[in-house]
Amino acid sequence: MAHAAEHAIEETTTGLNHRKMLMWIFLGSDCMFFAALIATYMVYRGQSISGPYPNDIISVPITTISTFVLLCSSFAMVQALAATNRNDQKGIRIWLLATAFLGAIFIGFQIYEFNAFKNEDLTLGANLFGATFFTLTGFHGAHVTVGIIWLLGMFVVAMKGRLGPATALDVELVGLYWHFVDIVWIIIFTLLYLIAGFDTGPTPGSGS
Amino acid sequence: MSSSHQVEQGHHPSFKQYVLVAAILFLITIVEFFAIYPNPDQIGAAKIPILVILSAIKFAIVIMFYMHLKFDNRMFTVFFLAGLTLAFAAGIAVLAMFSALGGGPRAFASANAVPYVEDEHGAESAKPSAILVPTVPPPSDTTPTESKAPDVAPTSAPPVEEKPSGGSAATASIEIGTNGDALEFSLAALSAASGAQVTLTFSNGSSVNQHNWVLVKTGTKDAVAAAGTGAGPGAGWLPAEDGRVLAASGLLNPGATEQVSFTAPAPGTYQFVCTFPGHNFTMFGDFTVK
Repeated sequence: MAHAAEHAIEETTTGLNHRKMLMWIFLGSDCMFFAALIATYMVYRGQSISGPYPNDIISVPITTISTFVLLCSSFAMVQALAATNRNDQKGIRIWLLATAFLGAIFIGFQIYEFNAFKNEDLTLGANLFGATFFTLTGFHGAHVTVGIIWLLGMFVVAMKGRLGPATALDVELVGLYWHFVDIVWIIIFTLLYLIAGFDTGPTPGSGS
Repeated sequence: MSSSHQVEQGHHPSFKQYVLVAAILFLITIVEFFAIYPNPDQIGAAKIPILVILSAIKFAIVIMFYMHLKFDNRMFTVFFLAGLTLAFAAGIAVLAMFSALGGGPRAFASANAVPYVEDEHGAESAKPSAILVPTVPPPSDTTPTESKAPDVAPTSAPPVEEKPSGGSAATASIEIGTNGDALEFSLAALSAASGAQVTLTFSNGSSVNQHNWVLVKTGTKDAVAAAGTGAGPGAGWLPAEDGRVLAASGLLNPGATEQVSFTAPAPGTYQFVCTFPGHNFTMFGDFTVK
């Protein structure tokens, strides 16, 4: 990316920064990606005819903790951007690393959860619940992982002292992506854990 | 607009405001958690609307303050909300489509299932489908019975009138069909006197589906059906030499009729079921022997 261009007046047909516009359009399209997976989960909710069912294995308290961790990481992310804007080199490094670290803790919770579910015989192929649950939360976890790699890349750039007010957009873009991953989790947490996390199996003989 | 971040910088929230936003997000999450914990139904029917509204508030706070949409050029909001609106509409459309199909996708799929022919798919179908592995809990609506091993061997009888020999044993004649194309028997409960010579006439009233009528020990209908799936179409979806099966018709094509003759076993409750894959979840009933 040309740093010189950041200082110059950017002539664009829209009057908006094209990179930032691209990021927002991408996030808008990513909404549709997750909507497809969430809608699939909701359509197949309660349709599994064999266990394990959500009520058997989902632990809402543990996932509430990992949700807090992700919220904290969003707070760290805005601090990283604020530090960039005021050219606080130490602050940039600390907050970027903190964001990536908290994201990694979230992924750690997810790995623990997936493994615990596997030990309870819930796999991608076990039933409709397993298929839709792992696809949705797995793709979210993949987004978080991409975000962590991006943040660590920015941390390397920060260590070279190349981040500051002139390149604040670089930090802002990773921030937009990171917060988006956070809001997707807000929805997943509410739907899959708080609302659907206590679903039991079908009532025997009910016929549906 | 030139290097937009320079222009916006003054509008970004201060550290204090960021802390306040984080605190609000934490608080909402805590409220959400205690709305459903320790008892998921403690706030009753208000649960889903409350949780959806709370998470929508969190969603809005993050995009407005953390993602700066409140302070940024409105075009970004338009781009994002356009995607979000399309996403929401697509999700609602999918849910509406399935609810318009009459219930869930599983009910729709079982009602419209096409018989699976192994030859068309090669040898890959050797193992039973994972969802039919017999981990399904037995129905709780059937009372346990003290039935010892019933002294009746399964008899898959050809459609032949079988007259009771001698005059000692009682005879019973039962007719059962299907509710049209629905995956249901026409009767939910049958009964006979123990020891009676039962002649059951099963008519497959469906115009599309193959069905059979299988009498099994109570609570075993799903397990027997799963075993039948493993036995495959060549065996008529029925496990061979299975002690849980007391009597069975053959696999009837749409419109076909068959008579099954058997001696009613020891008193107790039994089940009858169609073992065609997937039918056992809706197509079954209780068989009471007095």
